[in-house]
Order: sequence, then C-alpha cells, then structure tokens
Amino acid sequence: MTSVLWFQGGACSGNTMSFINAAEPSVVDLIVDFGLEIVYHPTLSMEIGQAAQDIFTPYATGEKEIDIFVYEGSVIEAPSGSGRFNMFAGRPMKDWVDDIAPKAGIVVAIGDCATYGGLPAVPPNPSNSRGLQFDRGGKRGGYLGPDFVSKAGLPVVNIPGCPAHPDWISQIIVALAAGRAADLALDEFQRPKTFFTSFTQTGCTRVQFYTYKQDPPSFGEGMRTGCLFYEFGCRGPMTHSPCNRILWNRQSSKTRAGHPCTGCTEPGFPFGDLEKGTVFKTQKVAGVIPKDEPAGMDSGSYMALAGLSRAVAPKWSKEDMFVV
Amino acid sequence: MTTMELNVSPLGQVEGDLDVRVQITDGVVSDAWTEAAMFRGFEIILKGKDPQAGLIMTPRICGICGGSHLYKACYALDTAWGTYVPPNATRVRNIGQACETLQSIPRWFYAIMGPDLTAAQYSSFPSYEEVARRFAPYVGTSYQTGVTLSQHPVEIYAIFGGQWPHSSFMIPGGVMSAPTLSDVTRSTSILENWGRQWLEGQWLGCSVDRWLENKTWSDIQAWMTENESQANSDLAVFIRWAQEIGLDTYGQGYGNFLATGTFLNPDLYTNPTVDGRNAALQSRSGIYANGQYYDFDQMRVTEDVTHAYYEGTGSRHPWEGVTEPIDPAEGAKQGKYTWAKAPRYDVPDIGYVPLEVGPLARQMMAARPDAADFQDSDPLIKNLIDELGPSVMTRVLARMHEAPKYFRNVQRWLKELDLHGEFYVKPTEPSSGKGFGATEAARGALCDWIVLEDGKIANYQVITPTGWNIGPRDANDNIGPMEKSFIGTPIENPDFPVELGQVAHSFDSCLVCTVHAYDGKTGKQLSKFRMGGG
Repeated sequence: MTSVLWFQGGACSGNTMSFINAAEPSVVDLIVDFGLEIVYHPTLSMEIGQAAQDIFTPYATGEKEIDIFVYEGSVIEAPSGSGRFNMFAGRPMKDWVDDIAPKAGIVVAIGDCATYGGLPAVPPNPSNSRGLQFDRGGKRGGYLGPDFVSKAGLPVVNIPGCPAHPDWISQIIVALAAGRAADLALDEFQRPKTFFTSFTQTGCTRVQFYTYKQDPPSFGEGMRTGCLFYEFGCRGPMTHSPCNRILWNRQSSKTRAGHPCTGCTEPGFPFGDLEKGTVFKTQKVAGVIPKDEPAGMDSGSYMALAGLSRAVAPKWSKEDMFVV
Repeated sequence: MTTMELNVSPLGQVEGDLDVRVQITDGVVSDAWTEAAMFRGFEIILKGKDPQAGLIMTPRICGICGGSHLYKACYALDTAWGTYVPPNATRVRNIGQACETLQSIPRWFYAIMGPDLTAAQYSSFPSYEEVARRFAPYVGTSYQTGVTLSQHPVEIYAIFGGQWPHSSFMIPGGVMSAPTLSDVTRSTSILENWGRQWLEGQWLGCSVDRWLENKTWSDIQAWMTENESQANSDLAVFIRWAQEIGLDTYGQGYGNFLATGTFLNPDLYTNPTVDGRNAALQSRSGIYANGQYYDFDQMRVTEDVTHAYYEGTGSRHPWEGVTEPIDPAEGAKQGKYTWAKAPRYDVPDIGYVPLEVGPLARQMMAARPDAADFQDSDPLIKNLIDELGPSVMTRVLARMHEAPKYFRNVQRWLKELDLHGEFYVKPTEPSSGKGFGATEAARGALCDWIVLEDGKIANYQVITPTGWNIGPRDANDNIGPMEKSFIGTPIENPDFPVELGQVAHSFDSCLVCTVHAYDGKTGKQLSKFRMGGG
C-alpha cells in the first residue's frame, strides 16, 4: 500500500481533471488494482470539515508519514507573506505545505503552478504565487528553497504542463509506488527525463513542413498544411514534452489540431507575459529571424538552414496534406 | 429553542476552497454564510495584456469548465472586434462546449454527488445496500464505469481542439482546426459508443428517444415502472433513493433563476453582437423571478463587494468593474467574509436580486413560451418545479436531463459540418471596443466583459456560475442563492451534517468546505463530527 495525499493551493483543478482522464492505468485501476491509497484528495474524497482535517492533520504533525505528497496549484504568499489569500481548513495553505512536505516520503508537484508558479505568477502576480521549488522563469528555489529534499532524499519531482498529461502523472506515481524512485532521472528543472527530454515537435505531424519552412496560410481551413513555428508562435521545436509521443485524450495534440504549442511545460510559460502582440504570433528580430530559435540553433545556423530549406522545398510541401 | 452554529471547513468536492458556516435552530438551518477561501487575481493579471490573453488565461481559471471559459472569452472578442464567424466554426465551438458538459454530467454525478448518497447515515433505509453497491466511491459498480467512461466525450473535444482540458483553439473569427473526414467519423463513433454504453445502457436503461418523450413528472413516474431495464437504471435508482431519503424536500433556494443561454445558432450568429445574442441562442437565456419570465440583458448585471474581500462597498456593472483585493484579516473587520463578489440582476419592477444559475435555470428557460423553431423548447423540468418545487433532487434531475439533449445536439452538429467550408475568417483587430461573451458551463451562466483600449485589455471581468450561486450578502443584506438554499435544511445529526454536503454538491460549485460546530449562544465549539463516509 502506497499512501498519497493530494492538496490544491492556487489551483484550477485542471491537473485533477486531466488525471481522471488517465486510461492505463485509470484512477480506479490505481486504487483498486495497484493498491494506491489516496488518503485525501479535495475533489475525490467525500470527507469534509473535521473529518477531512482528522485525516490529513497527522501528516502535518508527524504522527503519520505520507509516502507521496502531491501538490497541485501555486503556493500563495500574499498578502505580505501571510498566505491569507489561500486559506485551507482554517490555516494558510502555505503553512500546511511547510508542515507536510519535509515529513513526506516523496513530494510531487503536478502542473505548472506547483512547479513554477504558473499563470497566477504572471506579472503583477497579485497572489505572490510561487512554485514548490522553482519560480516562474526557472530560478531554482521557489517556496521550499533550493536545498529542500523530502524524506527519500529527493528534491521535489516536477511534472509540469498546463495541465500535465494524465499518463505523465499516473505513470510517475506508479513508478514511485513500485519503488522505482532510483530509476527516476531528473533534468535541470527536476522533471523526469523519460518524459521531458524529447521535444513537443517530436512526433508532430507537421514536422515535414518545418523541414521545408512552409507556413499554413491561416488558422481554420488553412491548417490543412504547414508548420506553426514560423508565423503562429508555436514553441514545439524548443519545448520539452512528449505531447506528440503520448497523445492527448488518446486522440491528438495541440499542434496536430492546428493549435500553436504555447510551451506550457517550460518555466517561461506564458512566454512574453501575454503582452500586446505576443499571443499566437512568432516574435521576430528584424522582421525575419525568430527571437527564440529552435533548441540548439543560433541566428546564423537558423538563417543558413532556412535558406536551404526553402530552396529545396518540394512541390507537395506547398500543398494541403491534411485534407478531407 | 436551541441555536448553534456549524463551521464547515473545508467543504470538499467543490473546486477551489469553500467554507460554510450555518446557524441551526431546533435542528433546521436558520442562516448561512458561504466563504470562498482562495484568490489568484486573474482579472488583475489580464489588465494591460494582449486582447487575446483571455483565450489563454480564462480557461485556466477553472480546469473543470475550461472549454466553457474559452467559448465565452472568444465571443467577448468576437463582439468587441466585430468578427465574421463561419457557421462551421460555430458548430465546432458548440461541439466543444457540449462535449465538455457531457463529460461533466456523469463525472459530477458519480464522483461528487454519488458518494453523499452512500453516507452511513442512510444505512438503515431499505434501498441502502443497492445504492452503496452502485455508487460507493471507487468500488461501486456504477461509479467505476461512470467515472471511467466520462473521459470519452472530451476525446471528441481533443480531436477538434488538440486536448482537454486547457485548449485555446477557439479564436475570434472561428477555430484553429480544420477537421478531416476521419476526425468526424471518429468523433461520431466515440459519441455513439459512449451513448450506448453509459447514457442508454447504464444511466437511462432505454433509448434517448424514449427518455425524451417524458414531458411531465407523471411521465417520469410511469417511465420508471414501464419495464425492468428502466426500473433498474441508475437514474430510476437515484429518483427512488432521493425520495426515500428526502432529497426532494430541501435545498430549495429562492426559486428565482438566471440563464445566459448557450449554443449559438451557426447561421444566425455569423456577425456576433451583444444585442443580437438572445435571438440566436439555441439554449435560451432569460430570467425567471417571482413567477415571471424576463429577457436577459447584460447591462442589468452588477457585482456587489460589500461583503467580499475587496476595496470599498456597493456595486458596479462589470465593464466598470474593479478588482482590488484586501487582506482578509482587514476585511473581516468590515463585515466581509469571502473572495466571491455578489452578482446581482436588476429585474424590472423588482430591483437588484440574487438569482440561481445552473441546469435548473437553463431548463426553466427551456420551458418559456414563444420559442423559435430552432430553439430548445422543453416543459419537463418546469413541470417538476411546478409539481415538486426546487430541491436537491430537482437540481440533480435538471442536470442529468441535459445529457440526452446535448447528445442529440452533438450528433446533429457533427452531421451538419461542411468539411469543405470555412472554419476561420481572419478578423480586423480594432484597437478599442467593448465586448460581452457568455455561455452555460455545466454548472451555470458564465460571462466575460472586456474593454479594449490602445490595442490592449483595459478591463476584464469574469462572472462565474459559482460566483452567482455561492456569492455572499449584498449591500441590502440579501443573502446569496446557495446561502438561501441551506436555510430550511434539516440537520438530523449535527455531528454528521451530510445534508449540507447534499445541498452544496447539488449546485456543483467550482469550489473545497470544513465543519466546526459552534453553540449559537455560547460560541463554544461543539464536538467534532464526520460528514460523508462516517
């Protein structure tokens, strides 16, 4: 039996909703077949009030030890560091985090808000939201500080994404519950490398159009062809996620559906802070060169490749591919 | 007379954090305060940002109804920019909105409402064993299939929008995607399969057509005993159980309703305007107050902050709305007790009143006379209200009745899609303007008001269904709709007030609640009690 305690701070519950979409294993499988004991979850548990407090308080006092503490949502510090903008069971949620996180076996941050502070942390960050161990932009530290480790000796395991894909959540929880924490290699943002080494572009159905530098003419029916990176602000070539390896809702992905990747597994999301002119538009230098180049490229190598790509682009790459 | 006070914190299974305080007199709730306990300030963040920022930000307000947030945020921009929206794009948007709700209906019933039904308090009732076998969390036979199958409608959302939750695929002028033949055939087969397995097979025990023949409460009663399959359906088991344990007797509320309506007619709303919206709605908007119907007019909506943790007192229309948070500790000294503002509607001849939103409200509007041919016209739930009055049971039935209706809608829109047509027309982007967009999330009316200046957002205000329902008292001390619904609720065992959970969960607030019991006279905390599983 592996015990899981799930709390929501400055959260929208999107990661919980995403988690309920998990299929292999499903949430019911996790509990009924894998012996996961979700001792408390704000949406799934029926206990309320004192009954709920009786369940989770022993993990804060140290009377009991939770195996996996899952945190969804940002840690809210406002106003003036008091945390009173987010009260839970009569106390600031941040105080519960202070008490529970160091006593938990493993701490898992689910989603962007718990990982980096997320959308609530976009300037002016009215709630003074922070990630558990990173701040928005990627500075290590966050609410718990750079040196935090849980009882198992691990820093916070981050599963970002807005939301995180259900399989990223359930597979990591299963791996931890099965005692495979030692197999869990983490990258610089403490994300499991197994999911966050490849790019969103890896497996994208539009990658051939990227190769030959062909844009779609527009949203809508224009999306029957082309790559969204050049004009529509797609961050697929520099965002680490398996969105096109492990499909969403078992069907598709944003980029496949003509929706530019917004880079939501990275600490800079939403890039450009949603300032005027940054939404669904590629930011360029001198009107030509993308401000953010594909991972590992500089403007020189980008221009050389782009010139070559366009020069050799075959006829089909200028025609529709995703046709009726 | 004995009076005492209960303070429920957290009241769980709502989205966000909700505390409920009630005063109990002689075993019945006599007053109530709902307290939303978390603030992120999305309206503040949106100020000064790109006009389209709301398409990315607002779905993230709530991961449960993010597709609904997107739908109305998009129409707020369509009206502000004066776009042309091709009929196909409206169909795809409608499919997205309806599929999110089709996911939410069973997920809410089994994961949120179902567990309350199996509370230990009810174990002495004759049908308890059957109800627990079906609806007990995780292990109930219907819980498992109901929750697991609820994933399928949003697979259709992902086919058109890339993923659910948190896509931003609806954009001013249309949608981002251009579906192919296999996108439509795949969506159709997912929908039919879900319809056969859950909606008809498990929930109704009959065809969608047979259920939709029911027009009155007596029709439903006859339907329940028509054959074994219907009698054994989850729906019939719920109705019998609700009556057995008295869910038809409390949770009334004001009985006054507001719906902003949804599902724009693809051919009648190609040039979205605020004024042209009501006439183009398939699921109609309107107000029902003191027994009268009124047209919905967004100019009559205000938000009052007298008892909410924001600067000042009084109320404003959302285009002029301000969101200036204060420290709750300071607010408490001024009589403020929640982060939810109090939305009010100025009903002609009546004045500013609190109104309930949600499925009951929508279905009341469906029964309003003089529907156009394409508009939903359906007397069933109004008949239930007339015969039985509003209650936890009627609120649940109104929600569940929408599953077969929305199922039929999605079938039709999928059929009507012209794959060779337009799905997007690039709009011009005027640098200033005002817009209003609205829809019906599964749990009620959801609206955005946007003001653009200098090509940026000058003001952005969102009123959520949870805001309407769990909002607090206003300047005139009118209490909020959910607060009102708690009043009159019998609390059989103050150490175990499952009835409060039933009322709160019937509204499906996007909010989480805790229970402390206080003696109303001495202020002394009473013994701890359990709510839920016992």
